[in-house]
Amino acid sequence: MSADLNAPAHPTDASETPNRASVSTPREPDSPAAFAAPAAVAHASDRGARIAAVAIALAWHVAIALPAVLSARAEFAAPAVVLGAWILVAVTGAVAGVRLLQGSPLPPWPLAGLLLVVDAAVFAAAGERQLFTAANWVWGTLGWFFVLAVWGRRVVGLIALLSTHALIALVAVLVHGPDPADVARYVMYVYGTFSLPVAVFVGSTVIVGLARERAAVSAAGHAMAAERDAAERGLRERRDRLALVSSAAGRVLGDLAGGQADPDDPEVQRRCMLAAARLRRLIAESDDVPDPLLHELRAAADLAERNGLPIDLVTIGTPPPLPVEVRRRLADPLTGTLADARGWARLTVVSGPDEVVVSLVTPDREGPESTGPPPGEHDDGPVQYLYERDGNIRWAQTRWRR
Amino acid sequence: MGADPVAAVTGDRPVGVAIVDDHPVVVEGVRAWLATEPRLTVLATGDDPDAVLRAAPHADVILLDLRLHGRMALDKLAELSAAGRRVVVYSEHTDPQTMLAALDAGAVAFLAKHEGREHCVETVLAAASDRPYVPPALAGAMVGDPRPDRPMLSDKEREALLLWFQSMSKASVARRMQISEHTVKQYVDRARIKYTRAGRPAATKAALLARAIEDGLVRPEEIGIYRSQATHDRPTP
Repeated sequence: MSADLNAPAHPTDASETPNRASVSTPREPDSPAAFAAPAAVAHASDRGARIAAVAIALAWHVAIALPAVLSARAEFAAPAVVLGAWILVAVTGAVAGVRLLQGSPLPPWPLAGLLLVVDAAVFAAAGERQLFTAANWVWGTLGWFFVLAVWGRRVVGLIALLSTHALIALVAVLVHGPDPADVARYVMYVYGTFSLPVAVFVGSTVIVGLARERAAVSAAGHAMAAERDAAERGLRERRDRLALVSSAAGRVLGDLAGGQADPDDPEVQRRCMLAAARLRRLIAESDDVPDPLLHELRAAADLAERNGLPIDLVTIGTPPPLPVEVRRRLADPLTGTLADARGWARLTVVSGPDEVVVSLVTPDREGPESTGPPPGEHDDGPVQYLYERDGNIRWAQTRWRR
Repeated sequence: MGADPVAAVTGDRPVGVAIVDDHPVVVEGVRAWLATEPRLTVLATGDDPDAVLRAAPHADVILLDLRLHGRMALDKLAELSAAGRRVVVYSEHTDPQTMLAALDAGAVAFLAKHEGREHCVETVLAAASDRPYVPPALAGAMVGDPRPDRPMLSDKEREALLLWFQSMSKASVARRMQISEHTVKQYVDRARIKYTRAGRPAATKAALLARAIEDGLVRPEEIGIYRSQATHDRPTP
C-alpha cells in the first residue's frame, strides 16, 4: 500500500524539481559562481607574489646598487650616465611596481625596451674597471625589473630579455679585451642573473596555479555538499508529505483491505470521500500554478462535483502569495464540511491584498457534525475559522488577515 | 407619466417591463418568471433595444442582456440610463469588472443570469420604485472592488455585503452579525447607494439617491458631491 501512496506524492513534489535537475549536472563546478571562487583565491595568491617581486627589485636597487654606485662614482668612464640611468630605472621601476600592484601594469615591451637601452648604456659607461663590480648595478638589479615588466606572461619572454642582457654584457666583455678570467666571471654572473629571477617567476606561476586548482576542488566539494543538503531536504519533505497522505487515506484503505470496513456503509463512504478530498488537495498544493489557493479549492470542488454534488465556486479578486501553511488552514477545514455536504454547496473566495475569506455554505440537515473543528470561532494563528449551523444552512468560513 | 420615465411607479398599475435579449429561449424563460408576479407585466420583448422601446415607450423597467449579438452593450446601457430609463442588466458575465462597469454606466441593478426567479422579480420590483436591490453576485463584486477610487464603505457595510455574498441568506447574515434582517438590508442598500457616485452621472443614479434620501437610508451629506445633482433631478413626488 505504501508504494501506491507514494505514487501521487512522488511526482508532484514541486520542491524536488530543482534538486532533480541539479543531480544530473556534472560534479565539476560549471556555473559562473563556481568559477569565481577559485579565481579569487588565485588572485589573492598572485598578489602576494607580486608584492614580493616588487619589494625584491626595489630593495636590491636601493640597498645594494645605490651605495656601490655612489662609492665608485669617481671611477666610472661616464659617472653621470651610470647615475642618471640608476635614477631613471628607480623611477620607472617604482611606477611599474605600483601599477602592477594596482592590477594595471605598464605595457611590457616598451618597458623592457627601455630597460635594455639602459642596460647597454650602463655597460658602456661603467668602464673596464667596474665591469664586474657591484657598482655596475645592472648585473644585480635589472633582472628583477625584467620580472616586473613581463609579470603574468610566459616565462619565455623573461628568458629572452635575460638572454639579450647576457648578449649586451658579452659584447662589453669582448670590447674590453677578452681575458679568460673575465669570461669565467662572465659565465658566473650570467648564471647568477638568470637563476634567481627565473626561479621566482616560475615559482609564483606554479603557486598561483596550485592555489587555483585547490580552490576549484574545494568549491566542487562545497557544491556537492550543498547538493546533498538539498537532496536530503527534498527527501525529508517527501517523507512529510507521505506521512500527511498516509494519515489522510492510510487508515480507511487499511480497513477496507482488511475487511473491517464495509464499502456500503455510508460512514465508510464519507471517510473515503474525505480522504480523497485531502489527497486531491495535497496533490494540488504542490502544483506550480499562479493561484495555488484557488487551484486547491477548485480541486476540492471538482471532487465534490464528481460525487454528484452541485457546487458553485465563485471567486472575487486574486489571492496574494500565501505560505503553504496558511493555504492549508484556509482550505482544510472546508474540505471536511464539503465531504459531508448534501444537496448543494456554495464555495466563495474573496481576496484582497491584506485579506482572504473562504466560505462554504451547504444546506443544514440532521446528522453528525461535519469533520473539522467544533462549531464556533477558532483562531489558528493568522487564520480565523468560523463554523455554525442554524437549521437552514451550515456555514464554514476561514479568514486570513495580514 | 409619459415624458418622464424616471417618475416613480405608483398606485395599482402593474410595473411595465421590457425584455431585451438575443436568445428567444431566455426571453421566454424570463417572461415566465415575471408572469408569476401579478405586480409585473411584460410589455415588449426583442433583441434590439430601440425597437423594443418603440414598441413599449412607457416601460418602467428594461431588463437588458449586456451581451447582444456578440458585443457588450455598455454604450447603449449608458445612453438609456442617461435618458432616465431604469435598466436592470442581467448577464451571464459575472466577472466583478463587468458588474461594476454596468453600475458605473448607470444600471439600476445587475443580476447574474444564474441567480434565479426570486432575485429577478425582487430586482425588477425594487428598480421600478427607484430602490436598490443587490443580488449576491453584485454584493461580491462590490466587496471585492479593487479600484483605488472605489466608494468608502463602513466595516459593517462591507461585512454585510461579504456575508450576503457568501450565504445568500439575509436571515443567516442577521444571525451571524447579531442584528435584524432589516438592518442587514439597510447596510447592503447603503453600500449600493454609495456606488451612485462612481462613474458618469445618470438620471437613474440621481433617482436612486433621491429615493434613498427620502426613505432615510442615507443623509444627503453622506453622499457629498451628488447632493446638488440629486436636488436638481429629483422627481416630483
